[in-house]
Amino acid sequence: MDKYYRKWLLPISLPALILFFAVIVIPFVTGVLYSFTSWRGTYFAGGANAFESFVGFENYVNAFKNEKFLNAFVYTIKFTITAVIAINIVSLALAMMITTVSRGGAIYRTVFFLPNLLGGLALGFIWQFIFQNVFSDVLFGPQGLIHIPALTNMLQDNTKALFALVILVTWQMAGYMMIIYITGLNTIPRDLYEAAQIDGAGALAQFRVITLPMLMPAITIVFFLTLANCFKLLDQNIALTDGNFNTRLLATQILRTTRDTAPPDYGMAQAQAVVFFVLIAVVTLVQLYVTKRREVELH
Amino acid sequence: MRNLAKIFSLCLVLALPVLSLAGCGMDMAGSGYDLYIFNGKGESAQALKDAADKFSEETGKKVKTFSLGSGTSSLDTLRAELNSKNMPTIFSIVNIQELKEFEEGGFALDLTTVTDENFKMLADEIPENMRLSSNGTNSFGVPYNVEGYGYIVDTRMVDALFGEGSADDFLEDAKNASYEEFQNLVIAVDGYIKNNTAASVVLDGETYTLRSEKTDLSSKLTGVFAIAGADKWTYGDHLVNVALNAVFDNPADAAAATDAQIASLKGPLTAYARALDFKTSYAAGMNGPVTRGAEFINTTTANYDSAVQIFAQSKALFIKQGNWAYTNIAKINEEIVKTLEFIPVKLPLTDADVTSSVETAEQLNRSISVYVPNYYAINAKATDEQKQTAMDFLVWLNTSESGQKFVTEDMAFVPYNADHQNITTDNSLSNSIIRYMEDGDVISNPYGGAPVNWSGDVLGLEIMEKYLTKEKWTEEDYSAIAEYGISKWNEMK
Repeated sequence: MDKYYRKWLLPISLPALILFFAVIVIPFVTGVLYSFTSWRGTYFAGGANAFESFVGFENYVNAFKNEKFLNAFVYTIKFTITAVIAINIVSLALAMMITTVSRGGAIYRTVFFLPNLLGGLALGFIWQFIFQNVFSDVLFGPQGLIHIPALTNMLQDNTKALFALVILVTWQMAGYMMIIYITGLNTIPRDLYEAAQIDGAGALAQFRVITLPMLMPAITIVFFLTLANCFKLLDQNIALTDGNFNTRLLATQILRTTRDTAPPDYGMAQAQAVVFFVLIAVVTLVQLYVTKRREVELH
Repeated sequence: MRNLAKIFSLCLVLALPVLSLAGCGMDMAGSGYDLYIFNGKGESAQALKDAADKFSEETGKKVKTFSLGSGTSSLDTLRAELNSKNMPTIFSIVNIQELKEFEEGGFALDLTTVTDENFKMLADEIPENMRLSSNGTNSFGVPYNVEGYGYIVDTRMVDALFGEGSADDFLEDAKNASYEEFQNLVIAVDGYIKNNTAASVVLDGETYTLRSEKTDLSSKLTGVFAIAGADKWTYGDHLVNVALNAVFDNPADAAAATDAQIASLKGPLTAYARALDFKTSYAAGMNGPVTRGAEFINTTTANYDSAVQIFAQSKALFIKQGNWAYTNIAKINEEIVKTLEFIPVKLPLTDADVTSSVETAEQLNRSISVYVPNYYAINAKATDEQKQTAMDFLVWLNTSESGQKFVTEDMAFVPYNADHQNITTDNSLSNSIIRYMEDGDVISNPYGGAPVNWSGDVLGLEIMEKYLTKEKWTEEDYSAIAEYGISKWNEMK
């Protein structure tokens, strides 16, 4: 078997490698190169090619001087922290509920997973309707079931819109993360709990001492997925508020940069994208390192 | 044998990505046409294609046209096409903000440098205030057409409010009416809708009395204005453009604004804020009047589509829109589109506020904004032969009888260069624009020369976010809106 793989490794992986180079590596390298030039989408300002219009770190300096970029930067971090916490709590709670119910577990699992099958834009517009009409009028409006001002017109305020977006992505992603947690929970041997019960440990203590440490591999994956996905969120942001009320996330900000400027400053947009990449890479790598170290293995 | 099979499968595996990638570049090999037109106006896609076919038939040149769906920004696609080997020879540019990119990139051909006699004549005859010019002397585009906007009103509704046969006089008097008279009209109609009070109003010296009994039509009204409250362009773009006309003659003038000119926007922008406060206090809704507040900027119930629907279902007397809204209104109500007319958007300006060549507040308030929404530009990087074909096409389209037929009938455009006295279209709103042009009561679109995104994304958004949810606006608010507009202009220019 080993010999077989050694012989066929290259031919089998070659198509994937070629595609990976063509659609990821080459555009990525070109992009980084363009972030150091005054690329305008169709031409290089102040030169005939990329090297003649080399501007050094000017695009990066301009990006960090750009108020909208800084706003989006801070807003994205605030959103990601809130969303990652919310998604993890909800998905873990759902997973623990489903692993303890005796009947209908599969149905619940399917139902909770369903939102994940919807595309971001469609989801955004559905929730726009829910927030603006169902939340604002039917449920929490002055004439609604219970009047909760904080839950009305959530898309017309910077802070409320952040939580609106968190509610949306939690609803969307929790089901998927729940599946990972369920798998993790199922690998924990029952006898650990039995032993703990005999020793007189309560439910909380069992969760803290057995469930959490044994679940660390699942937590590593879930944290990684939620962190990366929340940082990169685009469609839902555009569908829900389109960046109004200063609610642009970084991805939206990068997309809109070429519309904010004339001639379109693709160079600066690209510089923002590189910063964006570095940010996601650093945060997720640090997270992987930290959570990996906490993983315990049964020997 | 086994080796052969191995090599064969290796080849297959290698061919897969190569084949799939080749699909992207299929049309790179040989263009197969003499002229490639990239059209930015999706509405006229089919008509332009038909015109191109007719041109091919007459000249034997092969023409390829490309258009994206209406309402989608085609800029990104255009950039990609300009980067490709077979780039378009004719492409479209919307205004001088967009021109910057194509001028600096060397794509836009300066039409004043052209030597071809027929084309030179066409280029020279583009009226000066309609030229796509970055410095006043160069010219980079041949207009598609002209469009205009104002308050659209249904003449049948006017008859329903003020008695049969009153519409013709009403239109003339409403056009000439002062801002105060217009205000009184709005208040009177609002009282009529809400409390059935049949008051009288004076417009340009003539008295109009509301009928004592509502008709079937007028009882549908829920408010005076249909407003797309959740769309930021509602508060920037076209509405603020009327105020900008008090200071600037055209987009080029606005793009080259002096500090003094920007400072002198204070009066017009304050007047604009005041008028906006008034207008948004008399909004119509689906089931009754709408007041300012969260509901007013609800993106699911107060967007462009709902505003058009409210107007098309006769629930509002006025909607501020252009003749381009004709088809959308027709989709909802086939009947109403036959009897639509424009009246000007009016602002509480004084003559001192008006420093542009419009000269008086009265003239500004009796004019509607008419301008070129899109230009055909010729790609300077194309070969001389391609450029020649492009010029021949534009000359044919804009001067030959068969070309003009496509412009006026198939595209349903108001041509920029035609003798307007001899033109009537099937489109009531286009006819209304033609009448305003004949009377010389037109103003321009200087907002197209304001800093990029200043009107909609900056000023419009600020007003929407901070003020539209406020019940009462104060004098300080008017002033703050004007100051914000001026300071942002200075910052962004």
